[in-house]
Amino acid sequence: MDSEHVPNWIARLTASLERLRQRENQLSLVLSLIIGALVGLVVVAFILLTGRFAARMYPPGGSGWRRVLVPVLGSLSTGYLLARYFPFARGSGIPQTKFALFIADGRIMFRTVLGKFFCCSASLASGIALGREGPSVQVGAGLASVVARNLGLTPKQVKALVPTGCAAALAAAFNTPIAAVLFSLEEIMGDLHAEVLGSVVLSAATSWMVLHLILGDDPLFYVSGYRLLHPSEFAVYAVLGVVGGLGSVCFVKLLLGLRAWFMRLPKWTVWFQPVVGGITVGVMGYFVPEVMGVGYHHVERVLNGDVVLKAVVLLAVLKIVATAVCYASGNAGGIFGPALFIGAMMGATVGSIANALFPGATAGPGAYALVGMGTAFAGIVRTPLTSVIMIFEITRDYTIIVPLMISNLIAFFISQRLQPEPIYEALAQQEGVHLPTVHSRVQAERIQVRQAMRAVPAVLAPDLRITAALDQVKEGVLEAWPVVDPNGLCGMIRNTDLEKAACDGRADHKVSEFLGADWPHVHPDHSVSVALERMGVSGLKVLPVVSRANVRQLIGIIALNDILSAYGVLSPLAPAEKVG
Amino acid sequence: MIKLSEGPSFLGTLVLVFLSMAVLFAVDTFLAGADRAESVAGAARLYREGEDLMQHGRHAEAIGRFQDALSMERGNRDYQRALAEAQLAAGKSADAESTLSDLLQSDPTDGSASLLMSRVIVKQRRYAEAISYLHRAIYGEWKNDPAGNRLRARFELIDLLAKRNSKEELLSELMAVQDQLPPELERKRGRLFLQAGSPNRAAEVFHAILNDDPENADALTGLGEAEFARGDYRAAQHDFQSGLRAAPDDQEARQHLELVNQVLDLDPTIRGLGPSERFRRSRRLMAMTAEAVRNCAGQNVLPELQELLGQADSAGKERVKPAQESENAESYLGLAEQLWETRKKICKTEPDSNGPLALVLARIAQ
Repeated sequence: MDSEHVPNWIARLTASLERLRQRENQLSLVLSLIIGALVGLVVVAFILLTGRFAARMYPPGGSGWRRVLVPVLGSLSTGYLLARYFPFARGSGIPQTKFALFIADGRIMFRTVLGKFFCCSASLASGIALGREGPSVQVGAGLASVVARNLGLTPKQVKALVPTGCAAALAAAFNTPIAAVLFSLEEIMGDLHAEVLGSVVLSAATSWMVLHLILGDDPLFYVSGYRLLHPSEFAVYAVLGVVGGLGSVCFVKLLLGLRAWFMRLPKWTVWFQPVVGGITVGVMGYFVPEVMGVGYHHVERVLNGDVVLKAVVLLAVLKIVATAVCYASGNAGGIFGPALFIGAMMGATVGSIANALFPGATAGPGAYALVGMGTAFAGIVRTPLTSVIMIFEITRDYTIIVPLMISNLIAFFISQRLQPEPIYEALAQQEGVHLPTVHSRVQAERIQVRQAMRAVPAVLAPDLRITAALDQVKEGVLEAWPVVDPNGLCGMIRNTDLEKAACDGRADHKVSEFLGADWPHVHPDHSVSVALERMGVSGLKVLPVVSRANVRQLIGIIALNDILSAYGVLSPLAPAEKVG
Repeated sequence: MIKLSEGPSFLGTLVLVFLSMAVLFAVDTFLAGADRAESVAGAARLYREGEDLMQHGRHAEAIGRFQDALSMERGNRDYQRALAEAQLAAGKSADAESTLSDLLQSDPTDGSASLLMSRVIVKQRRYAEAISYLHRAIYGEWKNDPAGNRLRARFELIDLLAKRNSKEELLSELMAVQDQLPPELERKRGRLFLQAGSPNRAAEVFHAILNDDPENADALTGLGEAEFARGDYRAAQHDFQSGLRAAPDDQEARQHLELVNQVLDLDPTIRGLGPSERFRRSRRLMAMTAEAVRNCAGQNVLPELQELLGQADSAGKERVKPAQESENAESYLGLAEQLWETRKKICKTEPDSNGPLALVLARIAQ
């Protein structure tokens, strides 16, 4: 269009947008509002669709065979779609979001967002025992990423908007805006003082308003008033913390163990592995329908005191097994919802027993179920602050805070001791992804390995004979060499190891026979001080630099002298100079 | 810095995002509306099922239905009330109290919830709180038939006050409903006036009933009780006898008549007695009082009482000339009163206030 014929209002709008675009802070706030509203609308649609489909797929009082067939068929179809079209839409979405944020410059494909939305809706609607909140987080983060990239923002700006999408999604999914903000900072960012705090709060609030506008002021659970009957109840809440912590560890270990087992199966089985989860849920659902789906309806009944001891114990055990199998087998869905379900059942169990033993001094099982939800959340997801605030927001009752804090911190402590690696980090490790810790992200602010490393030199093949390897490295300047096969890095071997093998009369042996199971490595975003520490621990003066997304992908190497040069202690190395 | 010319997708993307939001808003609103309509219909069906189950006494199942209905249509006050009623009927008064607390928290003027809450609390014997909730029910808001419901709430309050024997409050509540009562409840009102310690008003009520139905046995007995409470034993005797003629099987009236007869046989102050009869009754009354005091005092008789009992014994044995009978009768009565007063000080057990001796002595004291 000829600029002379552009109407005035369009010209003014364009100019305003251009000014907005150039003011980074204002742009960030405006986009937080837009993303909050957009994500809120999408998550509301997700909740409504999932609920409507579930009510039709396995209606209450429907036949038992339907409860078996629906999850099996659902997991079969979504398993195929996930394997064929949406491989990044598996699982909960939290590790994937962290991967995108810290490793892929905040990049989440629109295809993944679509896959997550539809596959997860289908999975949950067919009764798979997983939750909708984790996937919502990935959908929210994905939408923020897609919008930001299409607006032409820089990778740094894109990364800054991803947590706003997460917070908006969680605020709408749980109806808990403060907990959503905290979760985005505590778990996703791993930093409660993150610079994005303002944007995250804004988007969570906007999303929450959208939710209220469409669905009204209904909390996630309607809970009757909570009362602490006697100070001695704190002891019972401490016991609940212990039970919740141990239950959380059992759940996490079972899930990780099963996931490792499924990952060892041949690759061609990936598309129908989710059916194992479908069959498990189907068989359980035939006898105990409450185990199917998210199960919030049943949780609400338990929270309101509708508790039979044997039933809640059975449901806690079945849900732990069902969720672990569903998740490990590769279905799409999260573990937040199941964590709340399991926690409510564990809490109701402890509450029922306490109430039977000390009827005058303890509140009803519903109160313990409520605290149990937070306890399991703190034990499984390892976000104690978020879990306290979330339950507080659900109940809107201040008196619950102290018992919650007691049992949450005990569960968190037990979980941390017995399962040191948090579940999302462990899941990412199993996928070969090394998510950066908070410590390493702080370190990354200093001189990074990427600034000091050098390109990959000559590499050795694992089936190379020792004599051939010695010939290959004799002109080299390094004291250790990467050994690489077609799939990537296999380890590092020192010159001294090669020479010793030749002296010991094993010159015709293969290089692979001298490699250890694990090898020390660093990532490009590590600080050089981390590299120095690892050199000290391993005794190697040369370390491979590998990708966080795939630890076998060799990006470069870093030697001691490279680090000294980075600090200006040594001048840059000459090619012929002996290093390390 | 990115220039506008380099990024035409900025405006385009924003437009696309806003369009998507508009479409999503429309889809969400439609889905939410459909969902709400289905939930409301499903909840209404469950509510009806719950009501049927309540009518068949299957309270536990009804609770499940009402809870399901509530989870589908949260915040529906009718369902919450029905749930509380079912919980109360099933004996789960703590659950019912919790349900009603939520209801009253959101609307403290809900008359129906207040009435239900009072019933829950009465079961837990927390009468003072129950009375407060009944007041809230009387002055609260009612969706249907406010006048009728308020009257019913007031009657529950009256019943509770009568049970608690709170005479003053009972009387004031009775005065408040005086002109609003249906005729079939008049007899009850008369009885309640009696209980509230207002025999004159009770007698008025029963007289009014007897004007329309002179052979009404209940009213005759009630009138007898009112006359008895007023101390008009002759009239009471007449009314009880009339009541028994109308309803010979009325054991209560028979017991009342027996008591009245005993009082009339014992009372030396009744009009129309000759001096000898008055003297005889006074001496008998004094002897009965001394006996009653002796029985309750046992072995630990104080010197003061010992002296009074000695006076009574010697007075009972003395021979009295007819001319001195009136004078002695007065002193016997005085002695009986003194003994009765002393009894109050030394005996731990209260005397039967409805026994003939206590009634006659009370009348003499007046």
